[in-house]
Amino acid sequence: MILDLERFQAQARPRWRDLESLLAALESRPDRRLNPAEAEQLQELYAQAAADLNRVTHGTMAHELRQYLERLVARAYAELYYAPPTRSEIWQPRSWLRIFTAFPETFRRHSRYFALAMLITLLGCALGGLAVHYDPASVDVLLPADYLRDPGQRVHEEEQGQGRHLHSAQTEAAFSAQLIRHNIQVALLAAALGVTFGIGTALLLFENGVLLGAVAVHYTQQGFGLFMSAWLLPHGVFEIPSILIAGQAGFYLARLLLHRREDRNVRQSMREWLVLVAGLAMMLVWAGLMEAFFSQHHAPVLPYAFKVAVAAAELVLLTIYLLLIGRRKIGEAARSTVPSENR
Amino acid sequence: MKDTQSMRASTAAELTILTPEGVFFRLPLAGPPSRLYAMLLDTAIVLGTVNGIGLLIYWIFSKAPGFGFMVITLAEFAIGFAYSALLEGFWNGQTIGKRLFHLRVIDQDGLPLKMEQAWVRNLMRVFDALPFAYLFGGLSVLTSPLMQRFGDRVAGTLVVRQTPLAAPPDEFWMRQKYNSFMDYPAIAMKLRRAATPELATLIQDALRRRNELAAYARREIYRELATYLQSEISPFPDELVERLSDEQYLTNASGVLFGDQRLSRVQG
Repeated sequence: MILDLERFQAQARPRWRDLESLLAALESRPDRRLNPAEAEQLQELYAQAAADLNRVTHGTMAHELRQYLERLVARAYAELYYAPPTRSEIWQPRSWLRIFTAFPETFRRHSRYFALAMLITLLGCALGGLAVHYDPASVDVLLPADYLRDPGQRVHEEEQGQGRHLHSAQTEAAFSAQLIRHNIQVALLAAALGVTFGIGTALLLFENGVLLGAVAVHYTQQGFGLFMSAWLLPHGVFEIPSILIAGQAGFYLARLLLHRREDRNVRQSMREWLVLVAGLAMMLVWAGLMEAFFSQHHAPVLPYAFKVAVAAAELVLLTIYLLLIGRRKIGEAARSTVPSENR
Repeated sequence: MKDTQSMRASTAAELTILTPEGVFFRLPLAGPPSRLYAMLLDTAIVLGTVNGIGLLIYWIFSKAPGFGFMVITLAEFAIGFAYSALLEGFWNGQTIGKRLFHLRVIDQDGLPLKMEQAWVRNLMRVFDALPFAYLFGGLSVLTSPLMQRFGDRVAGTLVVRQTPLAAPPDEFWMRQKYNSFMDYPAIAMKLRRAATPELATLIQDALRRRNELAAYARREIYRELATYLQSEISPFPDELVERLSDEQYLTNASGVLFGDQRLSRVQG
């Protein structure tokens, strides 16, 4: 209880002003680092301001003063209890390049969510495929209008259209940008739908699977299996895994939200989610480029066998990347990178 | 009635932090309108920037418009996310729009937000923006006690209002030498006991904004306040009140409420 608000303010105002100017100086500093003398001063002024706030809180009349002190204490608290990353941590190219190894590492660490995503997609595929197989009429229900066209006509159009595509790398570039953007948006949505405890992610993956299965069976039934593999696989081998990884990220996020209280290091978990998203975005950039510049060329310019072979090679490389990169480092690199970072 | 109640609840929403030192402090949360305005402004800035860059790129790639289109599409997409995430991450939780509308994103523990949180909450926009016009995000804000959209819930962040506050000035009614109300300590005590903080602040504001009010409004407000105090709370003797203007009455009342709390103060 403050007996004399006036005297109290007059006494305390200089130290509040000191704290204010110290905070202003700190907040304008890009790396927000304190030197030891400042840290000591901040600690002391913060403790005093907190004590002042405590006294004011019990007096009902000093509403404005309390607001002011709360703001001041909040700012000091933030500075005192927050360890900002240093500038050297942020602007190190090496730490940015680490994404290329962190991605497969994170992928492997949470592979069970990938398995779940794959399982759901396969279920969808099976359902879509079986439906079309046993009831070809269900194509009308399962596939959006774009695919509804008779596969024979579509193949014919595609094969005729190659002259047009050959001339315009321009069109392909524009096309690839739209593909990349659209695919990343969808994948990001799958990853973000983890916030619905994974239900949205599962639905999206399942729907995707149904589509995939239905298209595959529909085209194969009509005898265009090879054409379709050559048409879809060169980008599909990156696109489909990246959607699965998006599903993985979504399920990982769902688990993160469900077990938030037990999670000791939320920040690290968030970083892993971000790494997965960044990794799949890189994959989708490649997929988009392939889809626009490579997949749309058909025989006789590019033999179908060659396209399928390219797709197979891509798949092998991707598998090696996701399964092996960063693996041997676990033992060795722990020793070799620690001293180099201390230097 | 219901509407005004929920309005009051949402404007009064705040985050309470208990520090390790055992001190409480509260941060006022930002409501949907100001956040919406800030977001619209940021969107305008991003669109402006992207279109500016776009013109430049079209000019550079004038021989190859397809590649120009490609660069623009991707740049627009990347800038859309990176603008908020990077600015919030590096600029202590503020974008240009948020700074102008006095908003700041912070960690829900009252600490500055971290880079990871800035990215997560901004990437989650793809969900918050669903199904259209940020409906999910808006619903989430309205139902969350901390006014978090889904991105905020996931990242563990929230948006606080941060209007600049100066230390309360020395008030003239605290400095006045003689306060005739102090001659009646019992009634003055009654005033101090019965006045709610809201009423006290109202009187204080009315006095402080003296010069912002039009003359007739001032007269009216002061008369109402003084009449209310005199009739409902602290009936000072008529012979004293008759000699005082309404303004002087309120000044004296403020002196009682905010000044030296020891009634035995030496007078004169």
